[in-house]
Amino acid sequence: MAEPATDSAASELLRVEDLCVHYPVTEGLVRQREVGAVKAVDGVSFHLRRGETLGLVGESGCGKSTTALAVLRMLTPTSGRIFFDGEDITVLAGEPLRRLRRRMQMVYQDPFGSLNPRMRVRDLVGEPLIVHGAGRRSAEYRNRINELLDLVGLLRDMGERYPHEFSGGQRQRIGIARALALEPELVICDEPVSALDVSIQAQVINLLMDLQQELGLTYLFIAHDLSVVRHISDRVGVMYLGRLVETAPKQTLFAKPRHPYTQILLGAVPVPDPAVESTREQPMILGEVPSPRNPPPGCAFHPRCPKAEDRCREQRPRAQSMGQEARVACHLATPQARK
Amino acid sequence: MTALLEVADLTVTFRTDGGLVRAVDSVSLSVEAGETLALVGESGSGKSVTALSILGLIAPGRIEQGRIGFAGEDLTALDEAALRAIRGDRIAMIFQEPMSSLNPVLTIGKQVAEPIWLHRRMAWREAYAQAAELLRKVAIPDAEARLDDYPHQFSGGMRQRVMIAMALACRPQLIIADEPTTALDVTVQAQILALLKGLTQEANAALLLITHDLGVVARYADRVAVMYGGRIVESGPAAALYRAPMHPYTEGLMRSVPRLDGFASERLPAIPGQPPDLAKLPPGCAFAPRCPHVHDACVAAAPPLHALDASRSVACHRHG
Repeated sequence: MAEPATDSAASELLRVEDLCVHYPVTEGLVRQREVGAVKAVDGVSFHLRRGETLGLVGESGCGKSTTALAVLRMLTPTSGRIFFDGEDITVLAGEPLRRLRRRMQMVYQDPFGSLNPRMRVRDLVGEPLIVHGAGRRSAEYRNRINELLDLVGLLRDMGERYPHEFSGGQRQRIGIARALALEPELVICDEPVSALDVSIQAQVINLLMDLQQELGLTYLFIAHDLSVVRHISDRVGVMYLGRLVETAPKQTLFAKPRHPYTQILLGAVPVPDPAVESTREQPMILGEVPSPRNPPPGCAFHPRCPKAEDRCREQRPRAQSMGQEARVACHLATPQARK
Repeated sequence: MTALLEVADLTVTFRTDGGLVRAVDSVSLSVEAGETLALVGESGSGKSVTALSILGLIAPGRIEQGRIGFAGEDLTALDEAALRAIRGDRIAMIFQEPMSSLNPVLTIGKQVAEPIWLHRRMAWREAYAQAAELLRKVAIPDAEARLDDYPHQFSGGMRQRVMIAMALACRPQLIIADEPTTALDVTVQAQILALLKGLTQEANAALLLITHDLGVVARYADRVAVMYGGRIVESGPAAALYRAPMHPYTEGLMRSVPRLDGFASERLPAIPGQPPDLAKLPPGCAFAPRCPHVHDACVAAAPPLHALDASRSVACHRHG
């Protein structure tokens, strides 16, 4: 866009407005009829500034990975809009979409399933370059691969080996090198450390943070481990049944969680310290996450919420601003933090 | 007084293409009635093999040496029939995957009633009635009606409740839980572990909890044994071990995990290097290649587990 942008707009890389991804539920074998929809993502809005990390947390089925796929435009949203670097990419297709993909890449959870076992590390890391037009024989191509291996802390001669010769942590480094090959601006990390051993997780988290500093990357960091998200994120969004129930800078969110679901989620995570645990109040957690095919009316969390009132059962709460970039979708939330 | 479970100097080997692998090497541990011992370690550290060898479920592996004392008997000396009589009766096991540990073509009621019917030689009708009682105990809503349901009609958390009901069916003296909540969401994890802990305490059973999650250990364990490369590197009461870890691996591990209440610092003090390959263990201490305090003695010989006092032990030359 040629328009002179204000400071805040210039630094904004991604904006998601009222995103909905609904999957049809069909019945019948021969003639399929639509009988309903699974609202995997149902009205999610957030933004992401350049160089920033937004953590997206929630339990399985809350829609965090579907949100990521929609942002990458690996699926087309049912409704809502997605802006990348000021451009509406919601319905982008063909060559413009292909060009856009260079600018946003993904690091996957499973370092075993996401790498082709029959390709050498060198070819795995170089594949995105080939797809986007690099020549396999050029010196430039070879140099770039070496550069990428250096960047993620792998030795250059490891490029000649195959994925099975590497441990989980090293494979995740290969996955990261692949994601960085095209110099993306936005990297979406979907549970990048949850399949790794505890002592390796810290190495990969450090690597991701170093790379962000060095290359000015912007991360959308999806994870279920709240301690990891707290460490790496600047801001955090909490999802429940397809909705973003709370978004806030991490200091605010972890110190003064406003949504009852965030409070329960934080209480459920044990702290690795028996002295702390023995004095901590054990949270009362009611029930389980309901099926997204049949979400409860009103606030989706009300059947499990210890504070639910009548209006929570009837009326869906809208996200309201709590100041300082904090937004909460709860009828009971007030701008003063409640605990 | 001797402990309910007393594993002494247990070594388990597997024959693989890469040579003989010592998955468990000279492991000693004990659990008393009413106590929770957490066996902590990363993948390949030998924690699950240790647990499975208690139940005699390690084929094609072989117990090379050691003794598994359980209520005065040595389990390594028992034949298969005698072990089968103990499994599911006096020692119960809860596995990680509630999805694959239940039989998909049998109703929940049949699966929960089976161990009671089998071990208690009770009439089927009576065993079935007890199954309903057990499902209520693990807080499955509408328990009676759900006896006729199949596993696929249950959520992951509910299936793990069923597994706990099955484990408790014969009032075991020892329950072994191998990563019982790793496949579950965090709010469900908290529910399941609280339930498991509560019910084992109520029955005064011993709980051997196998996990890689240091938070779970801190919340639920009385004592901890840390495994690395097939050996126990450190053990002791949970509070003391967390307050002052003695082994460099334990210390490194505790420093490297981000925590909810900690200082969200710029960099995590990560442990360098990779976990060891059990087929290619170094001759000395398995942690030596990653250890910040390594010296000549560590590379020459593996340090034995050495008792510091009545409750704490560590296998490190620094404390030899």
